[in-house]
Amino acid sequence: MAVDVDRRAVTPGAPTAGHTRSWIYVLGMLVSAAMLARFADPIRIGWLRNLLVVFGSLLVESMPFIMLGAAVSAAIEVFVPTSAFAKIGRLPPVLQMPAAAAAGIAFPVCECGSVPVARRLAAKGLAPSAAVTFMLAAPIVNPVVVASTFVAYRGRSDLWVMVIGRFTLGFIVAMTVGWVVGRVRAGEFLRARDAGIEAHEVRQDEPRWARFFGHLTGDVIFMARFLILGAAIAAAVQTFVPQSIVDRVAHLPILSLVAMMALAFLMSLCSESDAFVAASFVSFGPAAQLAFLVSGPMVDTKLSALYAGTYERGFLRVVIIAVGATTLVATMWVQVVFG
Amino acid sequence: MRHWSHPRVAAGLVIGAWAGLFWFLLATDRTMLYLSTRTAWLVPLGAIIATAAAIGRLASARVPDPQPLGSRETWSLGVVVLPVVILLALPPVTLGAYAVGRRSSFSATTLGASARIVSGPIDFVDIAASQTTEQGQAALRARAGEVVMLEGFVTIEAGDGPDEFRLTRFIITCCVADATIAQVRVVGAPPGSVTGDEWVSVTGRMYPLGNDVLIAANGAPQEIPVPDNPYLTP
Repeated sequence: MAVDVDRRAVTPGAPTAGHTRSWIYVLGMLVSAAMLARFADPIRIGWLRNLLVVFGSLLVESMPFIMLGAAVSAAIEVFVPTSAFAKIGRLPPVLQMPAAAAAGIAFPVCECGSVPVARRLAAKGLAPSAAVTFMLAAPIVNPVVVASTFVAYRGRSDLWVMVIGRFTLGFIVAMTVGWVVGRVRAGEFLRARDAGIEAHEVRQDEPRWARFFGHLTGDVIFMARFLILGAAIAAAVQTFVPQSIVDRVAHLPILSLVAMMALAFLMSLCSESDAFVAASFVSFGPAAQLAFLVSGPMVDTKLSALYAGTYERGFLRVVIIAVGATTLVATMWVQVVFG
Repeated sequence: MRHWSHPRVAAGLVIGAWAGLFWFLLATDRTMLYLSTRTAWLVPLGAIIATAAAIGRLASARVPDPQPLGSRETWSLGVVVLPVVILLALPPVTLGAYAVGRRSSFSATTLGASARIVSGPIDFVDIAASQTTEQGQAALRARAGEVVMLEGFVTIEAGDGPDEFRLTRFIITCCVADATIAQVRVVGAPPGSVTGDEWVSVTGRMYPLGNDVLIAANGAPQEIPVPDNPYLTP
């Protein structure tokens, strides 16, 4: 032990024997994975091929959004003074939440990108209810998603039900869930980061550019772990659960809504593409398709892993219940009116 | 006195590995194995942000009092870099026959399918779209008997005759996770001329039969390499 202390004194940051062992194990894991992927011939194994392709595509699509979100988040941290958020934070919650949802209109990224931004906004002092409202609304109400929904349903009689319905329900559900989170978890709701890379990523005496890149890399690495876990689960679900499984309940009033919400949860699609998949479920009515389009960008498999890593224990449970219940009630009304 | 911070160097290298993956996808034209033409721009975006982040992190990696890289952090970084290693090592691969049974059929009522089908050459997107609109079906019926040339991969279903198989393409909007199926039934192929998952080109006369589209093959299907764009985007 004394030897260790002496050595550390001579070479700051030098690894211990335990740390070196970890490096060797991790390196071994990476080399083994590379060998398996290269030489085990996954192309010949149908399920493995499907799993790897879907897993890879989810990550290749989501990681740039995570990076973009982390860059915005880092810029907010380094370049936007805390006082800017204190002013918003002083607004009554009844104004904060609609303002936060409306801010989502100006943030055209999918759901993965909105998580690090919302996290940073909350860390800067924005009320949890407003930060959550922004996080849930942005992937639905932004112009890119509105346009993709329009294109997916263009030519159908229910075009405007879907476009306006998705935007409106997205707004309403996001604000309702934000309000519920604010009531249930009014105090600290961000999960404390591990005393690891994130803890010593940034020093306040460093220049701004160094702090910016510190926050950027810290956020990407922090989020990526959970995104990778979520993408792996989503790929496994897509590999082993046939989509036709939900077709049997297409004409049952409430079960069809629940089935489409469950499917959206399991599939973990990007909010900019999910309308095209929803449109392919022609046996389901507009209400069930809206349930898919509203709940999916707010809660799905990969987001659940991200939420679990970002927010305190219990947050995920509250969000799943609140999103599920609010979407169900809202789409039941749509079902009564439009079928 | 400044020293290299192992956690910062490691974080920079991990982000750099992601940058390397994105540049690799660009350099080897493998983007289309994972994304659609609509979202292909994400790969250069990811490459640029990740490269800048890696350079920025490594440039600020010398600090006065560096901490060691702990075991837990090492494993975290290993998990983040694991998909990069797998995707770099994986040979070029696309969804195949296994995925067909697990996905819903393409439904595009939105493509102006009938307008496309009335004129130009018929492709899988037109055929799939025509199967879900009455206008599209009528337009396709008007061209029944025309010779078409389609490329796709082979799927063979239980109940298919010895001279039958399905020719399939996946249609994606953003990424492979949202893939839906477009499919025609090919008849009149020499028995045993194709195997499952094989990419072939089929030429034959096209006959819409309700929601099915039948291709009466002119001769044996031609085996082709996997196209650069294996997935179609409407």
